Amino acid sequence: MKSIRAVALTVFVSGLAMAVQAQTSTDQLTNEIRSLRQQMEEQRKLFEERIRQLEAKLDKIEGVEARATGETAPDDLAAALTRLRGDSVVAAPGRTLPEGLKTAVRSMNPDTSVIVDTFYHYDDSEEGIAHMLEEVAGFGHAHGDDDHGHGHSHLEEGFNLRHLELHLSGAIDPYFRGWAIGAISEEGAEIEEAVIQTSSLPWGLQVQGGKFFSNFGRINAQHSHEWDFADQPLIYKLTLGDHGLNEKGVQASWLAPLPFQALVGVEAFHGDNEMVSQYHGEEEFSEHGGPRLWVGWLKVGPNLPEKHGLQLGLFGARGIHQEEHDEITGDTPGTPPDGETDHWLDGHTRFWGADVVYKYDSGKEYGVGDVTVQGEYFRRRKELDLVDHTIAGAPIGNDRIDDQDGYYVQATYGFLPRWRCGVRWEQVGLTNDTRMPDGAREDHDDSSRTSAMVEFLPSEFSRLRLQGSYGDYATEDGKEDAWQVFVQWTMSLGIHGAHTF
Amino acid sequence: MSSETRISTSRARRFVSRLGILVPCICLPLRAERLNIVTTTSDLASIAAAVAGDAAVVTSIATGVQDPHFLQAKPSYIMKARNADLWIRIGMELEIGWEQPIIDGARNPGIRVGTSGHLDASGNVIRLEVPTQRVTREMGDVHPSGNPHYWLDPLNGRIMAQNVCERLCKLMPGQASVFRDNLRAFVGALDTRMFGPVLVEKLGGDRAWALLLNGQLDRQFTEAGSAGSAGGWYGAMRAHRGKGIATYHRSWNYLTSRFGLSIAAELEPKPGIPPSATHLAGVVKEVKNGGVKVILIEPFYSRKSADFVASRTGATAVVAANSVGGSPEASDYLSLIDLIVTRLSEAL
Repeated sequence: MKSIRAVALTVFVSGLAMAVQAQTSTDQLTNEIRSLRQQMEEQRKLFEERIRQLEAKLDKIEGVEARATGETAPDDLAAALTRLRGDSVVAAPGRTLPEGLKTAVRSMNPDTSVIVDTFYHYDDSEEGIAHMLEEVAGFGHAHGDDDHGHGHSHLEEGFNLRHLELHLSGAIDPYFRGWAIGAISEEGAEIEEAVIQTSSLPWGLQVQGGKFFSNFGRINAQHSHEWDFADQPLIYKLTLGDHGLNEKGVQASWLAPLPFQALVGVEAFHGDNEMVSQYHGEEEFSEHGGPRLWVGWLKVGPNLPEKHGLQLGLFGARGIHQEEHDEITGDTPGTPPDGETDHWLDGHTRFWGADVVYKYDSGKEYGVGDVTVQGEYFRRRKELDLVDHTIAGAPIGNDRIDDQDGYYVQATYGFLPRWRCGVRWEQVGLTNDTRMPDGAREDHDDSSRTSAMVEFLPSEFSRLRLQGSYGDYATEDGKEDAWQVFVQWTMSLGIHGAHTF
Repeated sequence: MSSETRISTSRARRFVSRLGILVPCICLPLRAERLNIVTTTSDLASIAAAVAGDAAVVTSIATGVQDPHFLQAKPSYIMKARNADLWIRIGMELEIGWEQPIIDGARNPGIRVGTSGHLDASGNVIRLEVPTQRVTREMGDVHPSGNPHYWLDPLNGRIMAQNVCERLCKLMPGQASVFRDNLRAFVGALDTRMFGPVLVEKLGGDRAWALLLNGQLDRQFTEAGSAGSAGGWYGAMRAHRGKGIATYHRSWNYLTSRFGLSIAAELEPKPGIPPSATHLAGVVKEVKNGGVKVILIEPFYSRKSADFVASRTGATAVVAANSVGGSPEASDYLSLIDLIVTRLSEAL
């Protein structure tokens, strides 16, 4: 019995010991497993990080390779833009240059354009309007049209080519720009303008020299193709001639440092315009060298809101003036009937006046609703001494004074897309006195003219115009009236600089 | 002070106060510390103002209400140019009808073409319709360097801003960091409006543009499962890709090209030639056949021809400014594109 109890106790104790040992082992195992798991987790994280780094390196290498082979990474903006730009500027196949280079090379050439201005003219006067205008009372005795034979002057009934204008313009260097305008007509070619102009003077100054249209007023500086009507206003035709005041000389102008545009200009001209200052004829008395004609003008442009533009001007001029008259007279008192008389006059011409232009830009397309209103007043006074006369007893030393004025007012309106109409009212000779050297006073009548035009502009570069005018002229033989009709076609080819205001 | 002195002082004061009215008129304009920027169009003015910030005073010659091809070189424009330190133009011959007389008339040698005071913003923009053969006026009012309406592509808006920033940094190097900050802000705002804030935050503006240009932006969406996060102008126009619209003038190509639309018909038979009855009949046919729903037209054009086509086809005439200031809602460059995209996506 004692031995069974001993065995049982031993078995029990060892069983307990084993159980405890087993429990300890399980704990150990669990702990081990737990720590193993942790280690595995850490390893995994480490390996993932390494893989990520390797992947990034691989991407970079691939990217470089791709760039070397011309492919671009899909998210590189600079590369995408370069590709787009390359696609958009395509060199034409063959031996031509890429577009950008071509433009650069061509831009060194002067801008060239050709302007053709031609019209059909009809008038119902007996001798032709050109003759009639030469005989307008007070303004008559216009010399030179026959002598020089300019294409401008002969307003013939039928087809007229006013002239072909060849414009060349460009920058000469950083300091100057220049342009030349040749007027080519059937009678020959002449230089209308040849100018060098400064482009970088300080303080708002500008100087130009050469042959050019004087910048007084509005109409004078505009070329005939820019006019709103087919012909120039009466007052300018009668006092300055067909060319207007187009002279050789220099011009200096200054844009004053005011908050609005105030432009002051002075011009010194040789004085070639025969109606203003040129000397014709044999040398009977001392000749005055140039500059014989001085012109000054002021243009003011207030700052107006968006759609409106306005410019007002004042001008004045003084020139040395000589005339030689060869006349065959029968009527002048104290002269031999049907004889020839020569007389010479020497003195000055002055002119002065004002101009205004208003432009309204409606902002609509093709010029619809645009309005311009423009007017000028011009007054001239010739004070000439009678220097010599072939008639004995003529009042040498006395004055001959010619005092005339005139004005015009015109307006245009865009009434349809690409269509414009205009009206012009003008008068000359409101002041129209001539005081002869022998004391006789002649007070002449005024003349007037109304014009209306309608034009179609297929584009900015071509124009078809129909114009009609009715004029009532006071001539030596009394009042005469005449109708005129123009059908004018103007076009420009090539690069023509933008027009000023 | 004796009464005598008092009288002479007050007289002096009156004299000085009268002089004070004259002096500002006759003084030379003092070079202000702020840069005086004059731009040819209002879109350039908006972008330049965003980049320059307080360092500059920006004015524009065209106000967005007129057709920028045709302006007169008025005295008031000449006076604006007279005091300009920097003149910015769109270029590509858009302003060829009026820029030179203004610059020449202003007698400001600092802003002549080629000087550092003259910036042609078109330098490196993405151009469309660059001719590959001889251009003649037979083709209408065609520009030999390409279509100049490039500001309507927001990508070019970014490039214009960068060009302005570069030039400003050159003219005022002391403020370069300010200009670059402003540029970054402007470009960020543009990118956010283009792609929506979610996409820009996820990808970054540059990357989003690059993916768009490489045709991979959409793939990004579907792969990432974030199709719903496409926002902004790109998101709004995504649904309309491939559709055709009719336009009055050839002025919208940059916008349509950027957003995947096409130009189905133009009401002008050739650029610069007004619509004719025969041509409009052809346009009506094209609009019907193409299922075109929108005729896009600027406010300064007459609506007659657009309404004519609309009435015969069921399309809608959509009037949208193509330049800042052309409509009251288009108060700056970003609002302008907003307005156009909104009006288009509503009508398409």
